[in-house]
Amino acid sequence: MNHKKQINMMLNGKQISAEIEPRRHLVDFLREDLGLKGPHLGCEQGACGACTVRVNGQIVRGCLYLAVQADGATIETVEGLTEQGVLNDLQEAFLRHNALQCGFCTSGMLLAAAELIEHQPKSNREQVREWISGNYCRCTGYHSIVDAIMEVLEARADGRQVKPVTTA
Amino acid sequence: MKAAAFDYVKAKNLVEAVALLSEYGEDSRLIAGGQTLLATLNLRLSEPSILIDITAVSELKGISVQGNMLRIGALVTHTEIESSDLIAQHAPLLKEAAPHIAHRAIRNLGTWGGSLAYGDPAAEWPACSLALDAIMVIQGPNGVRKVSAKDFFIDLYTTTLQADEILVASEIPLASSNQVHSFQELARRHGDYAAVGLAAMIRTDKGKVQTCRLAFFSVAAIPTMASKAQAFIEGKSIDAALIQQAVNLAREEIETLADITNSQETKTHLLGVLLERALTKMMP
Amino acid sequence: MELNGEQLIAAPVSMVWLGLNDVTVLHASIPGCEEIERISDEEVRAKVMFKIGPVRARFAGKLILSDIVPDVSCSMAFEGTGGAAGFAKGKARVELIRAEGGTLVRYSTEASIGGKLGQIGGRLISASAKKIADDFFLAFAKELGGELIILSDAKLEDKK
Repeated sequence: MNHKKQINMMLNGKQISAEIEPRRHLVDFLREDLGLKGPHLGCEQGACGACTVRVNGQIVRGCLYLAVQADGATIETVEGLTEQGVLNDLQEAFLRHNALQCGFCTSGMLLAAAELIEHQPKSNREQVREWISGNYCRCTGYHSIVDAIMEVLEARADGRQVKPVTTA
Repeated sequence: MKAAAFDYVKAKNLVEAVALLSEYGEDSRLIAGGQTLLATLNLRLSEPSILIDITAVSELKGISVQGNMLRIGALVTHTEIESSDLIAQHAPLLKEAAPHIAHRAIRNLGTWGGSLAYGDPAAEWPACSLALDAIMVIQGPNGVRKVSAKDFFIDLYTTTLQADEILVASEIPLASSNQVHSFQELARRHGDYAAVGLAAMIRTDKGKVQTCRLAFFSVAAIPTMASKAQAFIEGKSIDAALIQQAVNLAREEIETLADITNSQETKTHLLGVLLERALTKMMP
Repeated sequence: MELNGEQLIAAPVSMVWLGLNDVTVLHASIPGCEEIERISDEEVRAKVMFKIGPVRARFAGKLILSDIVPDVSCSMAFEGTGGAAGFAKGKARVELIRAEGGTLVRYSTEASIGGKLGQIGGRLISASAKKIADDFFLAFAKELGGELIILSDAKLEDKK
């Protein structure tokens, strides 16, 4: 029943191999087997979005995606995307606008926001709200998150850089 | 919680997928997008002994024009439908409906075929397939058969798909130049299951309605067409008076089924509201 | 959850009564029935796979008959557990009435579903219960070699 499967994937830019049980979902594999704590588990039913990761360039619910399905795929977590600098302006904007408190939803929010900016760069506030409605936040009340995302959208539309947050 | 243990096999093509399904039978589940299945397994509301992954089966992929029909493969994701130029041109109702399905991350994996095969009364694609006169293409161990959408959804969560069959694709007549549509969905929060929904399509000829399709979802055990309202509208021009009469007819003919959040009366009221909005929008 | 209804079966009363008490007939009639065993005159144990949408929950349960009046009526109490999916408990009353064309089977059921299925199922369980009852009678009538003559609408009430 528990025949482990051999899988190979590109994870955060590195080729990795592993043997895993088919029932293990991607987030448990990332967190428990590889120590990548970026994606979080909230509901394990696909409702809360805390588990959001990127597979083959698209955001998915990591709890509704089996590790075995990742065989041959390209996986990116918030750790890898941060290293690449892909999320820099979003992260700066989140800091400036206090768009995180406990941080549990944040990795999911960043990944969701990044896909919005890529695919719908002309979004208005209403559209941003609709897009991130798949990611639950219990702390911020969402306004600051929307503010942060809007700042990045507007900056990019203007060809500006988002100002880095300084403590000076 | 975590899913119970299961084995896993990936089919390389349609013949193999059907053979595996026959071999493992009731103890197996097909996995495509997995957005409904994996949530079910995580809750341990199903404990199959093996999953048959069909995501590599090329016969189930792609959107293409075949003669005067648009073919949508069962594995096409909701996001692919949302961003497809062929869909925008030949089945724009689907492009309008797609953003209402759950949330982006789920749309990136969830599939056209999965939504149809589960036949959730609150799902968008079953109603859209009715509104567009879709034909389902089904593969079993004994060959291929085709079923029209109106014969496909037969009871709560029950379609005519047999246990050893796989939904391969749908064929939809290309939208004609005299065709308009409207998609309406009411949900408490964006992405929630619909409280009530309507997929509507009309073809007109010289200002009069030639063909009318009104497919409601989340009103009963299956997606339901307001056939009396449709018949009433056909042959006439749409004006405010006709809209009111159509709304009354639809409210009378559809026997609504309450769900966890909304009573029968609420559903009956809301379906009329959506019909009014849709007909107003489609009025030339 | 309450489920009440009537079905007319084209078979004589005594045949219908025998059928309702025959575990082989019941095995073939109950949707998803995997195993069924008569423990005594009053007790039947069964394993049934309950299928609704994506859910597949295997229920193991027992049925205890009482107030048995042969060829006329009986009461039953049932309970079952579906593992992680939940549990069900309830009672039913079945009456057989001679009617034109065969036997009228009148049933009234009261059931409560608890656990996960109960929480998330709610009214959807009522709709599927009606479907299961309809499927049962279709299969049952076929087993007896007769038919369902009239399918009257079972009356459904959801009481929390």
